[in-house]
Amino acid sequence: MQFLGPSIGFGLVTASILTMAAVGFTMQFGVTNILNLAFGEVMSVSGFVALMVSRTGMSIWAGMAVAAVFGALLSYALNRAVFVPFVRRGTRLFGMVIVTIAVGLIIQNGILATTGPNFFSYSVAQESSYNVGPLILTTSQIVIMAIAVICMLVVHGLLRYTKLGMAMRATATDSSLARSCGIRTERIVDVAWLISGAMCGIAGVTLFINTTSFTAATANSFLVVIVAAAILGGVGQPYGAMLGALVIGLTSEIAASFINPSYKNVVAFVILVVVLLFRPQGILAEIATQREVTA
Amino acid sequence: MSLAWQFYVTTLLVYTGVWVLGAWGLNLQFGTAGLLSFAFIVFQAVGAYTAGVLALGPDTGNGGYQHYIGGYALPFPLPLLAAIAVGAIVAVPIGLVALRRLRSDYQAVALLVISIIATSVASNEPHLFNGAAGISLVPHPLADWLGVDLLTYQWIYVGFVFVLCLLAWFFVHRITHSPLGRAMRAMRDNEHAAASLAKNIIALRLLAFAIGGALGAASGAVLVLFIGTWAPSAWLYPETFVFLAAIIIGGSNNMLGVFIGVLLVPIGFAESTRFLPAIGHPGLIEALQWIAIGFLFLIFLWFRPQGIVPERKHRYSRDGHLLSVLQELIIRFRGGPRPVPQERA
Repeated sequence: MQFLGPSIGFGLVTASILTMAAVGFTMQFGVTNILNLAFGEVMSVSGFVALMVSRTGMSIWAGMAVAAVFGALLSYALNRAVFVPFVRRGTRLFGMVIVTIAVGLIIQNGILATTGPNFFSYSVAQESSYNVGPLILTTSQIVIMAIAVICMLVVHGLLRYTKLGMAMRATATDSSLARSCGIRTERIVDVAWLISGAMCGIAGVTLFINTTSFTAATANSFLVVIVAAAILGGVGQPYGAMLGALVIGLTSEIAASFINPSYKNVVAFVILVVVLLFRPQGILAEIATQREVTA
Repeated sequence: MSLAWQFYVTTLLVYTGVWVLGAWGLNLQFGTAGLLSFAFIVFQAVGAYTAGVLALGPDTGNGGYQHYIGGYALPFPLPLLAAIAVGAIVAVPIGLVALRRLRSDYQAVALLVISIIATSVASNEPHLFNGAAGISLVPHPLADWLGVDLLTYQWIYVGFVFVLCLLAWFFVHRITHSPLGRAMRAMRDNEHAAASLAKNIIALRLLAFAIGGALGAASGAVLVLFIGTWAPSAWLYPETFVFLAAIIIGGSNNMLGVFIGVLLVPIGFAESTRFLPAIGHPGLIEALQWIAIGFLFLIFLWFRPQGIVPERKHRYSRDGHLLSVLQELIIRFRGGPRPVPQERA
């Protein structure tokens, strides 16, 4: 059992990164119903933007702020320039999945073509490690967890206590009803893409900090884990995504130390498949409805 | 043709046949039955491994450097037939896991995840199929019995693949033009309406999965018996997207369209860039290929979502028989009674 403490520590860090990504992913999905499989690539680009910023001599945390802004703008631009026109032209649910896959392929291989098949890493200052109960954590791991907690509190506050959050929940539940109640759903959709993009950018940078060395494809292989966490909790449910991220983050790291590191994600995916067998709508969602895309 | 060209052309023709077989299989699942079969590449892999380990001798041969289940050194048609059967059987658990009351995007993700689980397990369990190294030295079928030189053998194999494609075409054509195919299209267009007409949706889906899976497995078997080697890195989940690209660009639910799509996307792209001088860093050309595939997806979904050769509207003669393309043309040419354009239940 000597591995349990460290693996729970790693699990909590993975869960923190996963939470930010999955909540960002699921909020956008809940509002627009577009399964955005280009999410991992936006994470990637944002991570590389942070790398460029940190190479100018600024700290990686400043790079993370830039990456968040960049991720938000890129997501917004992708929605406005690609996804909305396709929806207006009559592309439906599955067609939109293909569109996002295509955008993802273009972005990922665009990065690959510019960076080459090299490994990159951020230069993070010398770190000290702390013993927190049975866990051993480094400074950057603690900061990542703190950022995730802050993000979740902000999302919670936004959704529960602001008019914007209420409008977002209303649009996610029934967009045409929301529109007839006077909510400008177009604007809500824009906001959803901006928030999702910002969280995507932060998640991308934290993922790259945590994996120490990364390539153009790192975030892409993480995407399926994100989608699994989002679906495990029930897609479109931010609180479900938090729960799903915690379950998948912890089990994958514990499985890595007890079974076999290569089965890290497999265990998480098996959990997903089993949950879908018995609760097809995910843990927290009331019911899985088939809705059309909103843009 | 010089010898080198003949080897190149025969290899290319076999690969085309393999892609076409697989794409028709996926087309039956995706184009005809409307299933988001994101784990399709698993069927090809299953077929390839089954055929490979059945055609290989016991794994103590060659110094026992590779480990696998099977090793029965079965004579030729048996590994292929077994692969087809196993492909159809594997489709059932995959279909059952993925298709239980799930909304379509969940299905897509569930199947994507199954595809990744399968690759991870195959590459991490060396005693199954020799892990990430995969299996190799699969003997050429009937090579001893034919006793010809390698080039003649390649041409014979091309003929064999061609015959197999014709059989597959006939088989799939019969299915899509039968009441079964009509029920599958009805399910694709409106699942609830089809269910209300007492079509068993689960059975239809599983059947589409099984038939498509069998075709995918056949394509894998044909490939592994030809090139003699197969490894998990050859069937990562993005490969399914290449099949999908061929179908969407060529024309979903149209076998001619899918064939043209295969000629354009996997064959055309891979080959047109093969003779480029190596520019930039390694992997640059492959990255550019993927970018081009991404743009092709977008361009086609924007300008021609039905594909190059769109799905054909079935037309019926006055007495209710389904008309072939030729009969339809003859009626048009003669100016006789117009065929009935709408689909009949």
